[in-house]
Amino acid sequence: MMKVLKVPARTIAVFVLPCLLLYVCLVFVPIVVSIYTGLLKWDGLTPSNFIGLGNFKDMFFNDPIFWPSVRRTLLYAVASMLEIPLCLLMAILLNRYLRKANTLVSIYFTPVILSVVIIGQLWKTIYNPASMGGMLNGVLTSLGLESWTHNWLTEPNIAMFALYFVSLWQYFGYHLLIQFTGVQNIPDELYEAAKIDGADGFKADRYITLPLIVPIFKISIVLAFIGSLQAFDLVMVMTGGGPAHATDVISTHMYNSSFLSFKYGYGSAIATFLVAVCLVFTGFINFFFNKLEKKYN
Amino acid sequence: MRKFNKGLVYLLFAIPVITQLYPLLWLLMYSLKTNEEILDGNFFAFPRAVQWSNYKTAFESGSYLKFLSNSVFVTAVTMICVILLSSMVAYAISRFRWKYGNLVMTIFLMGMMIPMQATLLPLMIIFKNVHILNTHLSLILPYIAFSTPVSVFILSGFMKAIPHEIEESAFIDGANVYRIFRSIILPVSVPPMMTVCILTFINIWNEYILAATFISSEKLKTLPFGVYTFVSQYSVNYGAIGAFLVMGALPVILIYFFLSNQITKGMVAGAVKG
Repeated sequence: MMKVLKVPARTIAVFVLPCLLLYVCLVFVPIVVSIYTGLLKWDGLTPSNFIGLGNFKDMFFNDPIFWPSVRRTLLYAVASMLEIPLCLLMAILLNRYLRKANTLVSIYFTPVILSVVIIGQLWKTIYNPASMGGMLNGVLTSLGLESWTHNWLTEPNIAMFALYFVSLWQYFGYHLLIQFTGVQNIPDELYEAAKIDGADGFKADRYITLPLIVPIFKISIVLAFIGSLQAFDLVMVMTGGGPAHATDVISTHMYNSSFLSFKYGYGSAIATFLVAVCLVFTGFINFFFNKLEKKYN
Repeated sequence: MRKFNKGLVYLLFAIPVITQLYPLLWLLMYSLKTNEEILDGNFFAFPRAVQWSNYKTAFESGSYLKFLSNSVFVTAVTMICVILLSSMVAYAISRFRWKYGNLVMTIFLMGMMIPMQATLLPLMIIFKNVHILNTHLSLILPYIAFSTPVSVFILSGFMKAIPHEIEESAFIDGANVYRIFRSIILPVSVPPMMTVCILTFINIWNEYILAATFISSEKLKTLPFGVYTFVSQYSVNYGAIGAFLVMGALPVILIYFFLSNQITKGMVAGAVKG
């Protein structure tokens, strides 16, 4: 019985190497280059100086923008994760009250497929001052709530929240879809059995839906978390990190340091930090959920 | 056992329909109004007279077709390469007997956690040195690289489940590995390939940052970057901006309208990778 093909090494190379080489050269090599560049003082033009961990020291201790941008990134992650329980609740209700909820879920999903450039510009237009045709301020004014109007994207205290909101808005449908698929995949027999035992409605959800949804919930959490750590495009499109760095997150700070201030070495150090944070947190979330899954089974 | 009021639940379902769709409809209205109408603050009003001229302005001055065809080209080449390259690797990982199969898989899986923007600067330096900066190749190569992990994962998961008897009988009939791959494995793997296509399409079609960093010639820009430049250039012609945004969204919206089931399924499959 031939279970798995045994083929000469040359054949394996033909199948694997083109893709693997391309992948290693364009994903891993750049990361290694970036770690090395992070140890240099370099503006991209004049010869570079090796300064060891100098950039990291600057980043952790002397950069007034760095820690606030880390804090905003983490807040971004927390905000996106808080949306997920709401999505789960909606998914459960959709599954219970509607026979054909797929169309509705597809409608909720629409913003997900649009480019961040379109989403960003659309919301910029919505957030515009009323004098420039902004919808939000216009609606507030016409409701007599003139005092609530703001320059949503240019007031430092508000701008970041305006960005969080757009992100939550765009990905609401994504998380709902994931949770909904998860809820749908739970076999009906389980609920019928529970009904016989006298548990239905939310009681059944507590003992059947929640434990079975944990793996799906984890997927949403990981996506939201990693997505927020990498949150970048939307901020770049809508504010570029301004006003006065009030909306800088880790990756925009990295981008602006590298491409606007031409501090290639320093930008690379931030990139290294970003990669490290992504790897550590993904590992941590996986560890946490593995424990949780064990507890439930 | 307290039950939710049915009306209340339906209201809960209706709210997101409005919040998720209304901004898009509003944009459509906006794109059909004159500047005066936009500025006078009647946000819910329909356009008094439909201003197709906004679309004409956007179409003529925005090199829309150029951007669109660039996007089609870059996305299509990326999709073809991703399908071909990742199904080859997936086949090797799932069906060959060799020592390093798991290692290769792990390498690909690790890449899923690496943020694309961390590679921006090093890639730019590398591309500058090999003189491909500001070409479509500088986009296609990283696009392929960053699309392969999920694709390899999805395809190898599917290929593991193909019954071995099919391969076996072909082998006995004298077909070699390449032949088996081409005429058996590839044709039966069409369903997961569709998933891979959808994921790659949505990600690459919408990608903005790499395009904005590596491309500087107007004639090479892809649609999202093109939209961005148009908006910054025509900052006070509100109607035309709206029109360009609508035209930028249109291709994806149309595809979504016809394939929404496949797309949502594909996106879930892509999410479940981890």
